[in-house]
Amino acid sequence: MSLADVQITLMPNALVAHVTGEVDMSNAEEMGATVIGATPNEAQGVVLDLSRVDYLDSAGIYVIYGMRSSLQARGQSLILVIPPDSPVHDALRLAGAEHPGEVTETVEDALRALDRLDPPAAI
Amino acid sequence: MAEANHERLRRPQLGSGQIALEVAEPITEPSEQVRSSYRFSDPALSELSLDALLDELLNRTQAALSVDTVAILLHDEESQQLVARAAKGIEEEVERGVRIPVGRGFAGRIAGERVAIFIADVDHADVLNPLLREKGIRSLLGVPLIVEGKLIGVLHVGSLTPREFGTNDLAVLQLAAARAAPAIERASLAARLEHEHNVSIALQRSLLPKSLGEFPGLTVASRYLPAREEVGGDWYDVIELPRGRVGLVIGDVVGHGIAAAALMGRLRTSLHAYAIEGHGPGRTLELVDRFVQSLNEPAMATAAYAVFDTYTSKVQYATAGHLPPVVVSGSDARAFEVTPAPPLGAFPYGRCPEHEIPLESGDLLFLYTDGLVERRGIPLSDGIEALVEALRGATSVEDACRSAVADLVPIEGLRDDVAIVALQNNPVPRELHLHLPAEPKTLAQVRRILRRWLVERGADEGDVAEVTIAVSEACANAIEHAYPPAPADFQLDAWGTNGEITVAVRDTGQWRPPRGQNRGRGLSIIIAAMDDVQIDRMENGTEVLMRRRLRHR
Repeated sequence: MSLADVQITLMPNALVAHVTGEVDMSNAEEMGATVIGATPNEAQGVVLDLSRVDYLDSAGIYVIYGMRSSLQARGQSLILVIPPDSPVHDALRLAGAEHPGEVTETVEDALRALDRLDPPAAI
Repeated sequence: MAEANHERLRRPQLGSGQIALEVAEPITEPSEQVRSSYRFSDPALSELSLDALLDELLNRTQAALSVDTVAILLHDEESQQLVARAAKGIEEEVERGVRIPVGRGFAGRIAGERVAIFIADVDHADVLNPLLREKGIRSLLGVPLIVEGKLIGVLHVGSLTPREFGTNDLAVLQLAAARAAPAIERASLAARLEHEHNVSIALQRSLLPKSLGEFPGLTVASRYLPAREEVGGDWYDVIELPRGRVGLVIGDVVGHGIAAAALMGRLRTSLHAYAIEGHGPGRTLELVDRFVQSLNEPAMATAAYAVFDTYTSKVQYATAGHLPPVVVSGSDARAFEVTPAPPLGAFPYGRCPEHEIPLESGDLLFLYTDGLVERRGIPLSDGIEALVEALRGATSVEDACRSAVADLVPIEGLRDDVAIVALQNNPVPRELHLHLPAEPKTLAQVRRILRRWLVERGADEGDVAEVTIAVSEACANAIEHAYPPAPADFQLDAWGTNGEITVAVRDTGQWRPPRGQNRGRGLSIIIAAMDDVQIDRMENGTEVLMRRRLRHR
C-alpha cells in the first residue's frame, strides 16, 4: 500500500486534488509536484483537499508553502480543505505556521471561494 | 493417376477400426498370426508408460512384419492434422514434427476415409510427406487407429524394397493398431487431466498472496492445502489498511477445477479493491455480493472479512455465509458464532451486518474454510469443536496453523481444499528499543509502532497525535543527518513511568542547522508538542530526548 494517494479532478476553472493517507518526507515532494504539474495555466486556482489526510508533518507543510509560491507566481490561488477535526490542524498549530493559503471546511466552500476571487491577473 | 496406384483395401467393414481386405486371401501361415496376436496382447505391455508402450509396439510390429519403417501419427482434432508421435526407421518424422492434414496424402486419406490403404509404389503416389520419399520407401501399408468410433490416429509400415502387403500383413497391423489405440486414448486423457490439474494449481498459486507482509503490533500466518485430486476455489488475503488497520479475508468458491480457481481470483481481487477503498467489512461484502450478482453466471461463494485495528485491539467482522472464526484467548478457545449474512451473490436486500470481536493483547483470530472441518458422516459442529480443541493453548499464529493441520487433516489427504489465515494481536513491549534504517519510508512504520505503544501506555487521542508527530519529526531529522549517501541506521528508544513518556532518537550523523524558515518547523513542532526537549549534538551524532506527561491522567 502506498502511504498516500492523490486523485485529481479538473473543474471548469479549478483543479481539485484529493489527498488520502499520510504525507511525510517520503512522499510530500511528489504530492506537490503531481498537483502543480497537473494544474492548467487557465485554472483560477487549486483546491487541495486534505480532508482524508491522516497525517501531515513539517515536510508536508513545507511543500504546501512551495505550492502556494509556485501558484502565486502564475497568478493562481491555493485553497486548502481541512475539516475541523483533521489531524492536519495539529501539525499546523504545532508548527506555529500561519495557514498556507485560505482554508475551508469542504470542497464546495473552496470552489465558491475561488469563484469570488478575481480572475488571474494578466501577466 | 495416383488413384490407379492405390490398391484400396475396402470392405467388408467388420466394425469400427476393423477393415478387411476387399479380396480375402487365404491365411497361409496361421501360426505366424497367432504368434503376432500374442505379441500384441502380452499383459506386460499394460505396465508400460505411453512412450514405452508405443516404442515396444513399434518394435514388435517391425519384427512381426519384417518392415523397414513403422510410424504412429496422432489425430489433433483442433487443427484436423495428423502429428507424428513415434517412429522406427523414419525417426526424423517425429523429430521434424511432421504434420499431415486429414484427408490428404497417404496417411491423411487413411484418417479421412477410415480405411486401410496399401501403396505398391510410393514414387508415383500422392505422398505428401517428403520424408517417405527421401528415405527411399517403395511400398506402404497403413491402418486407422480408432477407439469407440473416434479416430485417434494412423499406424503405417513401409518397405525399402517393392513389396506386396497381403491379408496377413494387414491383420497383423490391425492387431497392433487395436492394441495401441485404447492405450493412446487412455494416456492422452490422463495427460489432459494432469495438465488441467497442473494449470489449476499454478493458477491457484498465482492467485493467492505471494507474501503476507509485516505489520507492527500483529503477526499473521496462512496455509493453503490443495485437495488430493482437484484444486478448489478457496482463498485468503491480508490487506494493509490506513490508520494502523489490517484486513484479513477468507473465502470459498463452491466447485472445483480451473473455473472455481478463476472465479476465486476475481472475487479476491474485487474484495481487495473495495477494502482498500476504505469500506468497512460489512459494506465491502455487500459490494462483493453486488459484484457476484452482476456476473450473470452461476457463482456461489462464502467469505468473511475481518478488520483488526491495532490502536484499539478490536476486530470488525462480517461474514457472508462463512463458518465462524475461532478466537484463542490465553488457554481458552471458542468459535465466534454470529448469524451470518447469506452467501455472496445471494444477499436478499444487500445488507451485511458487522460484529465486533475484542482481541486482547496476545489473542489470536483464526479464519478457515470448510475443507478443514467437514468430514463425511460427521456433523459440521463436531468438526468445528475439534478445531476449537486443536487451537486451545496455541501461543502463536504458526503454532495455531500447525496444530490445526496436524489434528484435522486426515492422513489419506483432503477431499476439499483448505485455506487458513490467522492473526495474533502481539503484546506490546513496555519499552521500545528499535534500530531502524535511516530511510524516509521508515517514518510511517515508526508512527505505526509508536501509536500502538502510546495507546497501550494509556495515551489519549490528543497525546497520540502530538507525540507521534514530534517523534516522527525527530526521526526525519535523524534520516536527513544520515544523508549522504552510505546506508545508515538510527536508534529509537521509548519508555514510560507514572503517566510520563520519554522518547530518545539517536543518529550517528552530523547535526545540520535547519535551512530556511520552513525547514525549521520540524524542530518547532517537536518543542511545541513535548513538555521537555533536549538536543545533544555530539562528535559522533545527535540525540533528541523528548518527554511528555500524558494529558488525561
